[in-house]
Amino acid sequence: MTPPRRLREAIERDLKPARPLRRPSTRALALVPIAGAILVGVPLTHAFRPDAALVGFVRTWGFSIAQTIGGLVVIALALRESVPGRALSSGTVGTTVVCGLALPMFLVVLTSPRFDIGPGPGLGLVEGVACFKTSAMAAVPAIILAAILAARAFPLRPGIAGGLYGLGAGLIADAGLRLYCDYSVPSHVLFAHGGAVGASMLAGAFVATVAARPRSR
Amino acid sequence: MARPAKNVQPRPLEPNEGARAEAELGRLMVGYQQGRLEAFDAMYGALAGRIRGYLYTLCRDASLADDLLQDTFMQLHRSRRTYEPGRPVTPWVFAIARHVFLMHRRRTGRRLRFEDALLAETLRIDRPRDDVAALIDGDEVRRALRRVPADQREAVLMHHVDGRSFAEIAARLGIRVNAAKTRAFRGMKKMRETLTRPGE
Repeated sequence: MTPPRRLREAIERDLKPARPLRRPSTRALALVPIAGAILVGVPLTHAFRPDAALVGFVRTWGFSIAQTIGGLVVIALALRESVPGRALSSGTVGTTVVCGLALPMFLVVLTSPRFDIGPGPGLGLVEGVACFKTSAMAAVPAIILAAILAARAFPLRPGIAGGLYGLGAGLIADAGLRLYCDYSVPSHVLFAHGGAVGASMLAGAFVATVAARPRSR
Repeated sequence: MARPAKNVQPRPLEPNEGARAEAELGRLMVGYQQGRLEAFDAMYGALAGRIRGYLYTLCRDASLADDLLQDTFMQLHRSRRTYEPGRPVTPWVFAIARHVFLMHRRRTGRRLRFEDALLAETLRIDRPRDDVAALIDGDEVRRALRRVPADQREAVLMHHVDGRSFAEIAARLGIRVNAAKTRAFRGMKKMRETLTRPGE
């Protein structure tokens, strides 16, 4: 079977060597500098959590570094999802989303001896919004870079790929936030911290869907 | 008497035949990525039949399957850098083919919605209706389209009927993307005015 003349001519006109993309895990390493900057930048630009000495190095920096690595793994999965023929199974996507959203809560449980440290009376909303904004803004650079990397492949399910890299970026941002915020009351952790990770996930899905639209349609 | 031919079995696949074919496809794909046209020809020869069969099972239309096959190879060409050397080629190619089919289905749905909306607009025209009027509706759309200046009509047809993107239209007509958008918009506006103005 030979290609039709018009197709062959179109291919011939445009045929030049194309360097294949690297493996998704290798491409995800491009985010390490940004992830590091977010991790260090959030406590540096705000403040370090006041109970750091009490909690110890492992439960502050150790857990945050682990969460950052988790975020990078999720972004690597998103980059894999962006390559045709390497789509993740729905089970993998579901497990990743559930585990990713649960990770910040789980680390609070492991970090805080009690769950009663929270904003002062009447400050719950203000402090919650502040944490949400800090985390969401910190995730933006990682979302942008991950979106560029994903778009260089050919995501056939952009919503899923974007949701995953948004989740990864949200986890990286939350890893920095937990070095700044020591609140452990469930409402704050769930809505401000978990909500920001969820919002990053939605933002990633939105960005990827828009980026995947045929241009100028 | 010899037994009937139904006992003749197809040649069984050798244990590693599939893996060998996949490895050969992988080598061709790497050659294609390096810019060798003969590798594309060989890949087309090896894959076109299977992809066409797959597309046919999706769309159940032989000529559409042929068109989608060409689109698949064009998309495969544009995305050739996303193939990771060393990985199987077949899942990569078939994922692209499925995507091409889904995009076609989405475009077709959009075009049908446009035609439905156009028809609904035509039916809203306030004038006495009879059986003949219903037959004339199609003529009215065509007549309205004829009143649109040729350059705008071309943009309307290419975008709303053929489902081309403005970038494609711009490339084809040798104009800027914004000019293509403007032409299609003005053409649609003119059609709408003609259709909603009774007695013309």
